[in-house]
Amino acid sequence: MQYQSQKVAMPYFIAAIGLFTGQILFGLIMGLQYVMGDFLFPAIPFNVARMVHTNLLIVWLLFGFMGAAYYMIPEETESELFSPKLAWLMFWIFLVAGALTIVGYLLVPYAGLAKMTFNDLWPTMGREFLEQPLPTKLGIVVVALAFLFNISMTILKGRKTSIALVLLMGLWGLAVFFLFSFYNPSNLVLDKYFWWWTVHLWVEGVWELILGSLLAFVLIKVTGVDREIIEKWLYIIVAMTLITGIIGTGHHYYWIGTPEYWQWFGSVFSALEPIPFFMMTVFAFTMVNRRRREHPNKAATLWALGTGVMSFLGAGVWGFLHTLAPVNFYTHGTQITAAHGHMAFYGAYVMVVLTIISYAMPVMRGRAANSEKAQVMEMWSFWLMTVAIVFITLFLTAAGILQVWLQRVSDTPMGFMAAQDQVTLFYWLREISGVIFLIGLITYIASFFVGGETKEAA
Amino acid sequence: MNTPPQPHFVRPCTRIWLALITLTAVTYSIGEAGLGGKNIMLLVLGITLLKSQMIASYFMGLRKASPMWRIIMASWLVIVGGMIASAYLMGLQ
Amino acid sequence: MSTPSIVLHSHKPGSPPGDLAIWFFIFAELLAFGIFFGSYAFSRAHHVELFNQSQLLLNRESGAINALVLITSSYFVVRAVAAIKQGLDRECANWLAAAIGLGCVFVVIKLFEFHAKFSAGISLSTNTFYMFYLSLTIFHFMHVILGMVILAAVMLKARRGGYTPEEHTGVETGASYWHMVDLVWVVLFPLVYVIR
Repeated sequence: MQYQSQKVAMPYFIAAIGLFTGQILFGLIMGLQYVMGDFLFPAIPFNVARMVHTNLLIVWLLFGFMGAAYYMIPEETESELFSPKLAWLMFWIFLVAGALTIVGYLLVPYAGLAKMTFNDLWPTMGREFLEQPLPTKLGIVVVALAFLFNISMTILKGRKTSIALVLLMGLWGLAVFFLFSFYNPSNLVLDKYFWWWTVHLWVEGVWELILGSLLAFVLIKVTGVDREIIEKWLYIIVAMTLITGIIGTGHHYYWIGTPEYWQWFGSVFSALEPIPFFMMTVFAFTMVNRRRREHPNKAATLWALGTGVMSFLGAGVWGFLHTLAPVNFYTHGTQITAAHGHMAFYGAYVMVVLTIISYAMPVMRGRAANSEKAQVMEMWSFWLMTVAIVFITLFLTAAGILQVWLQRVSDTPMGFMAAQDQVTLFYWLREISGVIFLIGLITYIASFFVGGETKEAA
Repeated sequence: MNTPPQPHFVRPCTRIWLALITLTAVTYSIGEAGLGGKNIMLLVLGITLLKSQMIASYFMGLRKASPMWRIIMASWLVIVGGMIASAYLMGLQ
Repeated sequence: MSTPSIVLHSHKPGSPPGDLAIWFFIFAELLAFGIFFGSYAFSRAHHVELFNQSQLLLNRESGAINALVLITSSYFVVRAVAAIKQGLDRECANWLAAAIGLGCVFVVIKLFEFHAKFSAGISLSTNTFYMFYLSLTIFHFMHVILGMVILAAVMLKARRGGYTPEEHTGVETGASYWHMVDLVWVVLFPLVYVIR
């Protein structure tokens, strides 16, 4: 580790992995509720489990991004972090606020939580993924601003690299688009319209910039390829992401009451969204093939390559499957969406955070890479989790196709619940894959505690 | 320091430029005359593809590039031209 | 001092002029326009009457003039590349300035055209033809602006003497992008303004 202040990333990464575990446990609870509707009822109803599952995902990814930024920025700018103390303070504020929110979800009925947290004064709750109570939302803004201040000041006083600037742009975008979560027009069309400005422009816009810069950073480190080459790719990927992603928002505007031209804009531009992901795959493999050094951290390289492949499959291919308006007319809001959501989030964002953790954790613990034994274990966890998510995606896709057929295409369409009964087999198989994912995650966590002979930090 | 001679691609490109101007004028006149129909469409489309290939080969310099690049560009033109032509014929029915 | 020879290929033989990365970008852009052109053509097949009627209301003169403007501008950029290969950086910058000037002419003509349409109350929701006409031309319009920004950056660097006969990938990169913008209009003009 070249800079002392990079170490502040460690608590962020640990919290991220902890919350990740929570997310998976709630995922398993929900997966079981799909086939055993009254499991854990009334303690944890399905809607609460779902809220916790998705909110934990967002929060732990944010922890991961922040940790990644705190780790990368000192090295990129060649200067210590502006204020490591502020970073520590924000860590605790964010963790406590996040934990309180989850506890609130679990212990208080949602309507009661809304009343307790002044939702009457400024209604922002009750919308998918943005369910957080007002104080939490404000807390997120405060943490994000303090974080951005810290990062921006560090970049201002140090070297300005493209990777740092792309990361900064992504992080600022993340904060700015979150502000739309406070805007809740009473017109339902406008409400949905701007809701996507947070949701879509995060995951199919600015988060991709963060993904690109994290991947570029790790690839420079593990391959030793010239910075100029990597940066050139990064620029093109960023440009393609923004061109396709911004107007691609239209693929959410097909059926919510917006003008018809969105069906064209959405279809054309979102159909191109796989391109930047494809370029990322080519990018990762080209750089690793052209590597100038054999980095001892094989696991980090594996994660980086995995991110390239799985983000293209999950976000690119599975997104494309149902993005065209005439297809989406049938598949909208079915298990096809769930299949895409699982593989895209895992392949793009989960994996890139695990990539940077895999690279940075050993360095922060004073070695270039973990022992052979620990790395083998980490690679096992890579394969377990990745294969499990592939199967989850395939089973959900199968469930989705059957659901679309029974419920929307056939001559004698079934009702929603009747169609759900027909696909239980796939839900059971998905749950089994989920258990394998959990085993993979436990293996992953265990790999941090495996000792053995390690190489000294370079 | 002596200035090296003008690169040899300037003269062909000048001729291409004049050809492009002329062909654009032809396309415009067809539009002004209000002509339409299958044969006119094929003529206009042919002129368009010819112009595009000229720009790609000479202005963009692809004629000096390896076959792969030329094939990618040519297939774009063929596919776009093919879509336009077949959609037009579909509309006639 | 010996006469410097012309460097024909400042890069790997066989690859197109300019940075390789711009060519990925160019083909991605062409793909986007290609899909749009195809969508236009097939939508037209379903509404031939509507498209033919609406097309009559377009300003064909401004479309054609703009085609000539972009073609000529593209030719100026060719001359700029030729100039830098001879080491004439001032001349290169002047050709680029002329090309950017023509880009401005395109923008002004286009703005008049858009203004006329918008004041006639035409919008994206008027009908399918105008939806395509406006989206295609506005999307292309934004590429003209981006192309001008790229050319301006190249021009400023050329004026500072930032390119040499040996190393001028930047000029070729900007040139290739600008030719793509020209190429798209060369297809767009007959497709939307002429073919009926």
